[in-house]
Amino acid sequence: MKRGLAVYAVFAYAFLHVPLLILAVFSFNSSRFAVWERFSLQWYRAVAHDGNLIESSLNSLIIAIVATALATIIGTLAAYGLWKRGSAWLSGSMYLSLVTPEIVTGASLLALFQWVFRFAHLRLGMHTVILAHVGFSLAYVVVVVLARLRSYDRTLEEAALDLGATELGAFYRVTLPYLVPAIAAAAMLAFTVSIDDYVITSLVAGVDSQTLPMVIYAMARRGVNPALNAVSTLVVFGLGMLIMLSERLRKT
Amino acid sequence: MKLRNIFLAPTAILMAVTMLAPLAIIMVYSLLTRGAYGGVELPWTIENFTRLWDPVYAVIFLRSFWIAAVATALCLVLGFPLAMFIARSGSRKNLYLSLVILPFWTSFLIRTYAWMFLLRDTGILNSLLQALRIIREPLSLLYNDGAVILGLVYGFLPFMVLPLYATLERLDPSLLEAAADLGARPRDTLVRVTFPLCAPGIRAGAILVFVPCLGTYLTSDLLGGSKTVMIGNLVQNQFTASRDWPFGAALSLALMAIAMVLLFAARKRGEEML
Amino acid sequence: MNRRTFLIGGAVAAACNRGPRLNIFNWSDYVAPDTIPNFEREFGIRVRYGTYESVPEMLAKVMTGNSGWDVIFPSAEYIQPMRDMGLLARLNHDWLPNLSNLGPQFQQPPWDPGLEWSVPYMHGATGIVYQKSLRWTPQAWSDLWDSRLAGKLTMLDDPPEVFAACLKTLGYSINSGDPNQLKAAQQRAIAQKPLVRAYLNAEVRDQLIAGDVAAAQAWAVTAAQAIAAASERTEGVSVSKLAFLFPSEGFPRYADNVAILRESTRAESAHRFINYLLRPQVAAAIVETTRTAACNGAAQQYLPESLRSDPVLYPSAEILARGEWFAPQSAASQRLRDRMWTEIKT
Repeated sequence: MKRGLAVYAVFAYAFLHVPLLILAVFSFNSSRFAVWERFSLQWYRAVAHDGNLIESSLNSLIIAIVATALATIIGTLAAYGLWKRGSAWLSGSMYLSLVTPEIVTGASLLALFQWVFRFAHLRLGMHTVILAHVGFSLAYVVVVVLARLRSYDRTLEEAALDLGATELGAFYRVTLPYLVPAIAAAAMLAFTVSIDDYVITSLVAGVDSQTLPMVIYAMARRGVNPALNAVSTLVVFGLGMLIMLSERLRKT
Repeated sequence: MKLRNIFLAPTAILMAVTMLAPLAIIMVYSLLTRGAYGGVELPWTIENFTRLWDPVYAVIFLRSFWIAAVATALCLVLGFPLAMFIARSGSRKNLYLSLVILPFWTSFLIRTYAWMFLLRDTGILNSLLQALRIIREPLSLLYNDGAVILGLVYGFLPFMVLPLYATLERLDPSLLEAAADLGARPRDTLVRVTFPLCAPGIRAGAILVFVPCLGTYLTSDLLGGSKTVMIGNLVQNQFTASRDWPFGAALSLALMAIAMVLLFAARKRGEEML
Repeated sequence: MNRRTFLIGGAVAAACNRGPRLNIFNWSDYVAPDTIPNFEREFGIRVRYGTYESVPEMLAKVMTGNSGWDVIFPSAEYIQPMRDMGLLARLNHDWLPNLSNLGPQFQQPPWDPGLEWSVPYMHGATGIVYQKSLRWTPQAWSDLWDSRLAGKLTMLDDPPEVFAACLKTLGYSINSGDPNQLKAAQQRAIAQKPLVRAYLNAEVRDQLIAGDVAAAQAWAVTAAQAIAAASERTEGVSVSKLAFLFPSEGFPRYADNVAILRESTRAESAHRFINYLLRPQVAAAIVETTRTAACNGAAQQYLPESLRSDPVLYPSAEILARGEWFAPQSAASQRLRDRMWTEIKT
C-alpha cells in the first residue's frame, strides 16, 4: 500500500508540475511564440528592465503576505470561537463569502468603498485591496482549521483547565500546537487565493496598487508573452527556495 | 467578555464590512432598474427576478452544477491518495505539502496557457502522439467540456488536498494498526476507519472545490472556447458586456441561494454548518 | 511610495508627493515602450499608468467620480453616454495646437463632431484573417458558414461583433435594433455554431500563427500582428502565410479616443499629455509597436513604408466606405441582444 501511494504521488506531482515545467522551459526560448528556437536569457533581461512588472510583483507579494498573515490569525481565532459554540450568522456569512461569484464581490465592494470614500475623502489603494483579500481568504482559513478542530478531543483542553490553566493559556499551550498543521495548510491556501486573484483585485485596486495578475492579464490576453513565463518562473523559484530554506532552518 | 467572543469579534467586523454590507448593496441592486450604461437607476422593480423564470437559465444552472460536481468528485478521488501520502511522509510533510501548492503561485492565466499549449492541435501532446505514430490526425483536446473539467480539477486540486491533509495528518497510525491486527483488510480499514475519521476534511474540501467551481468563468472561456456559458460567465457578462447590473445581482442571488441550500442539506445532521 | 501607502492611508500619502503628477488609464498594449518615459522626462510630470481590458471595466471604476484617474481612452460609442453621465471634462482647444495633425476624417468624427470632449486616438476595423493555404479564398462574411471550415473557424467572443457579421450577411445594419432582423441574425449564429472551434478575441493570434485555425473573425490589429509574425523573408520580400480581408458585405469600424475625466484636478498636465500624443512622431512610434492605425494623419510620413502602405491598417478610401461605425444601443435592444447571445451560447 505504501509503495502504491508513493508511485501514485509521483504521477500526481507530475500532473501538478507539468504546466510549470512548460512555462519554465519557454521562458528560456529565444522566440516570442510558442515554438522552440534556441536558448536565450532575453526574457529575463526584459523582466529586469520592466519597472512595471517588478513593482507589481512586489505589490502582489506585499498584499499576499499581509493579507495571509491577517486572515490566518483572525481566521484561526474565529475557527476556535466557532468550535466552542457555533454562531449561525457568522458561519452563514462565511459560507456566503464562498458562494458569492468573484465579480459580484468585487463590484459590490467597489460600490461600498466608493460610497464610503466620498464622505471620508479616501481613495482606492493597497489598503482596499488588502481588506478585500483578507475578507475573501478568511473563509478558507476558517473551513480548514475548523475541519481539524472537529476531530479534536475536547477533554485535552478540559484537562488543562482542571490543572489550573487559564482559558487563554489552555488555548495557547494545548490547542494551538495541535492546530499547527491545519494552520500551515490554511495559510498556504490563503496565500494562494490572494496572490492569484485578478477579478476582485482589479476592481478594488486604486491608482497605486497594480498587482502582478493585473499586469499579466493586461499583457497576456493577447497571447503568450515569454517575459511573463520568465517572471512566473522567478516568482515560483524564489518562493520555492524560501520554503526549502525554512525547512532547513527548522530542522537544524 | 468571554474569550470566545473576543476571538470572534475581528471576524464579525470583517464579515460585516466585506461580506454583509456588499450583500446588502447587491440586494438593493437586484431590485432596481439598469442604468443605460451600467450602474443602477430607480424605479424599484422585481422584474429582475421574474426574468429568471426562463428555461434558458435553468439549463445553464443545471449544466454548471453538473460540471462542478464532476470536477469535485474527480478532485476527491485524485486528491485523497495524495493527501494520504503527504500525511504519512514523516518529516518531509511540509516540503511535500508546499510542492502541491507551489505551481499555484504562478498566475492562473499563465498556467492555463501552458495547458492550452499542451492540448491544442499543434501542441505537445498531439505532436508527441503523431511522432509516435499512435494517431495520424490531431485529436481535438481543447475547447470541449473535457478540457474545462481538466482545467477545474487541476486548478482546485490543492483546495481538496490541503483540508484532507489537515485531518488525515492527525490520524493515529496505531488505529490503523489496531484495525489490521483485528484482521481488517486494508480496504476495510480505509472504508471503515480512515474515511469516517476524516469526514470533516472531505466535507471541507468538497465545499472549497465545489462552490468556487460553480462561479468560475475564465476556465470555461479559455479551455472551453466560450462555446457554452456557465453561471459564472452569465453573471460576469451582466456586470461587463451587457452592463445589466440589476439582473447580474439577481442572478448571483439565485446562485447563492441554491448553493446555500445545498450546503445546508450537505451538513451533518445536528452539527453546525461549517 | 506605494509600499507605505496602505500603512499611512491613501490621503496622507497622496499629499506628500512632490511635483506634478498625472494618472493615465489606458487599454493594455496601447502605447510604445518609451511613450510614457519620454513624456515624463520632457515635462517633468510623474505618470501613474494603469491599464484596463474593456470599457465596462473602466466605466465601473470612474462612474462615481472619485477614481483618481485623469486621462482615459473610451471607445467612440461610449463618448456620448459618458458625456451624458457628466464624466468627461470639456477640452480646451487652446492647449491642443496639435489637433490639426488629425486625419481629415477624424477632424469631425460623428460621435463628437466638435472634438469638444474627446480626441480620436487609434482606429480599426473587423474582418477575416485566413490561411493562404486554404484552397479557396474567402471574400465575404457569408463564407464563414462554409462547411469546409468546420472545426477550424473562430469567431470573436464579443456579442456586437458576432451580431454585426450575422446582420451583414443578411444585408442589415450592424447597429440594428429591429427584433425581426436580430432574430434572423441569431438564427445565422446558431447555424454557424457547429462549425465554430471557439469564440476567441486577441488570443486567436497565436493559434493562427501555429496553424490551428484556418479562418477567424478578427480585429485588424490582431490580424496585422499575426500576419507580421507569420511572415518569412524570401529574397528580400516578406511573405506571410496569413492574409486579411475586409468582407464584401461591409464591416464594423471602431475608434478609441482620449478624454479627460471631469473629476481630474490636473487639466493642464492632461492637456499637455494629449497634445504630446498628437505629435506625429509620438503617434508613429506607437503605431510601430502596437500595429494599430493612428487617427493622426500627420504621423503617416514618419512610418516605415511597409506600415504606411499596409492594406490591413490603412485600407483604401474605397474599402473604408463599406465600413460602419458602432453606435450606442438602446436599452431595449441591448437587452434583446443579451438574451439572444445567451441562447446562442447554450
